[in-house]
Amino acid sequence: MSLGSRNNLEKRNLKRQQIVLGVGLIAFFSFVDEAFAQDMSFEIDEAESAEAQAGAKEGQEGKAKASAKTEVGGDVLSDLAGAEEKEETVVAEREHHKLVTEEIYAVQRIYALRYLRFELAPSIALTMNDQYISHNAPAVALNFWVTNVLAVGANFLWYQGFENQSDLTFHVGRSTRLGVPITEYQLGAHLNFTYVPIYGKFQMFNEYIFQWDSYLVGGVGLMRTRPYPVVDPNRNFDFGFRVAFNVGIGIRVFITRYLTAFLELRDYMYLERLENLAIALDDERTNPDTWLAEDATLTHNVAAHVGMTIFLPFDFDYRYPK
Amino acid sequence: MMDARVMRIIKRFVLTVALMLGCMASFGLPSTQAQDVEISGPLAGAPAVMHLRVYREGRFQVKPAVAMTLQDEFDRAILFGGELNYNIFDFLGVGVWGAYAGIHITTGLTDEVEDKGLSNDRNILSLPDRRLFDDQIGEIQWIAAPQAVFTPLRGKLGIFEELFVDTDFFVFAGVAIVGVEERADVNKIPTCDELTEVCRQSQRERTSRVAIAPTFGVGLSLYFAEFMAMTIEWRGLPFAWNTSGTDESGDPRGDFPDDQIDSDDHLFKFNHLVSLGFAFYLPLDATISHTEN
Repeated sequence: MSLGSRNNLEKRNLKRQQIVLGVGLIAFFSFVDEAFAQDMSFEIDEAESAEAQAGAKEGQEGKAKASAKTEVGGDVLSDLAGAEEKEETVVAEREHHKLVTEEIYAVQRIYALRYLRFELAPSIALTMNDQYISHNAPAVALNFWVTNVLAVGANFLWYQGFENQSDLTFHVGRSTRLGVPITEYQLGAHLNFTYVPIYGKFQMFNEYIFQWDSYLVGGVGLMRTRPYPVVDPNRNFDFGFRVAFNVGIGIRVFITRYLTAFLELRDYMYLERLENLAIALDDERTNPDTWLAEDATLTHNVAAHVGMTIFLPFDFDYRYPK
Repeated sequence: MMDARVMRIIKRFVLTVALMLGCMASFGLPSTQAQDVEISGPLAGAPAVMHLRVYREGRFQVKPAVAMTLQDEFDRAILFGGELNYNIFDFLGVGVWGAYAGIHITTGLTDEVEDKGLSNDRNILSLPDRRLFDDQIGEIQWIAAPQAVFTPLRGKLGIFEELFVDTDFFVFAGVAIVGVEERADVNKIPTCDELTEVCRQSQRERTSRVAIAPTFGVGLSLYFAEFMAMTIEWRGLPFAWNTSGTDESGDPRGDFPDDQIDSDDHLFKFNHLVSLGFAFYLPLDATISHTEN
């Protein structure tokens, strides 16, 4: 507590003592004469007017105090003992006020709790890092939030039929006589952890408030891929499963307590054996063992996921301390 | 290999699930929308936030920035420049963004063509000498873009519940004037009828021009002080140019080489870049809103 407010408290206590003393004297003399207390109506107006009158009477209280001293001052010892008691009362009051005048913060509740809720997240994945082919895919993810900031989950992407080859592959081949080995994806299925280290809120035009968070995601899974026959059109590749790792970052904006929109950038990494740039001669040309490059290449598919999430159950309860 | 029937079923399933989720989200769900809570009493009609720092209104913004092009086919440009804005309102500013491409880095594809490209009678105009391919690729030289900046969202974010930073999200749009350097116009006959020094020389000859393109993007500002913020932004500027310096189209029979390098070979490309900047605001002190309350 500041020094200034402590002085104010002492002044208020002094005033209170004076008022109590004044009222005590009035009560004493009223018993001697007649009882006027029955006229009180206990109305709010009365209380307010009494407060107003109290202020107006402050000037008179000084005089009452002076007269009280002359009238009560018969027994000096008891007066001294009474003064000590008052001092103790003042100290106790100060201690009491110290306790109740602590600073209290009003904290807004977290807008939407994720704890022990499922999150269903359909999205569209768009390739961001490949000029030759876009591995676009519809995707769906399911997460379970173990705590309010940590979730375990899985996602599934279906690529086949949604991929697009760019004109660049064709143009490069035509202008420079170079074949660019590219890969076709069929599906991806991944397990992942999600962690929310950053959260915040935005206000729009000082009118609406949006809660949002940013999260890190990472995990491991499988991708089913095969090379496109670019170098030798006679090659016919089968799909195969590859172990893939993924890591990403995303942002989620709460539209309601159960519905959000999200944008996520995730890198799916796996080892791919690309098409062999050399064509074997004679009968070996039809041997599938000669179709793939000897070494595997670390391949990145950086995908931007754009979608919605639905939290289940829709409602949740806040837990309050007693 | 999975047959077409199974694929169709899976596709149909994915679409059905997506549709169902969309419908569920739209209808019949409890409407717990905190943003729509109607407030009565002393807070009725009050703004969402009071006494907030007005970072932009009535202030100039000077922002040195460095930018890098993304998804480049043959050449990656690193641009150095900046932005000068005047913010008419807290949510709207006008200004100009400009940058000069001080550094150019060839991509892996350019290196591959230099190492392994092949030339014959059909593509000799496109690639006279593979070792000189680096000299014929197109480059962005500079960009100037008058633009309007709209800041609809502002707020703050907390990192690990420890560090809290004022933040705003902005979008911008304008017109970009782009200085482009490309391979100079050349005809196959007589220049590159066969591989001669004259043909090789045509690979090195350059021409500059100005392309006009729309530009737009989004960004995020993180305020470290009342007078300074770090910004990260993405910018798109789609326009047509010849990135490879090769003969790609122009023939009246369709999209087929016409044995000329000219404006017909300018192919549409969605160019985009990401930039990092530090914005300084003048005057240095931000005002506080609703001080009369």
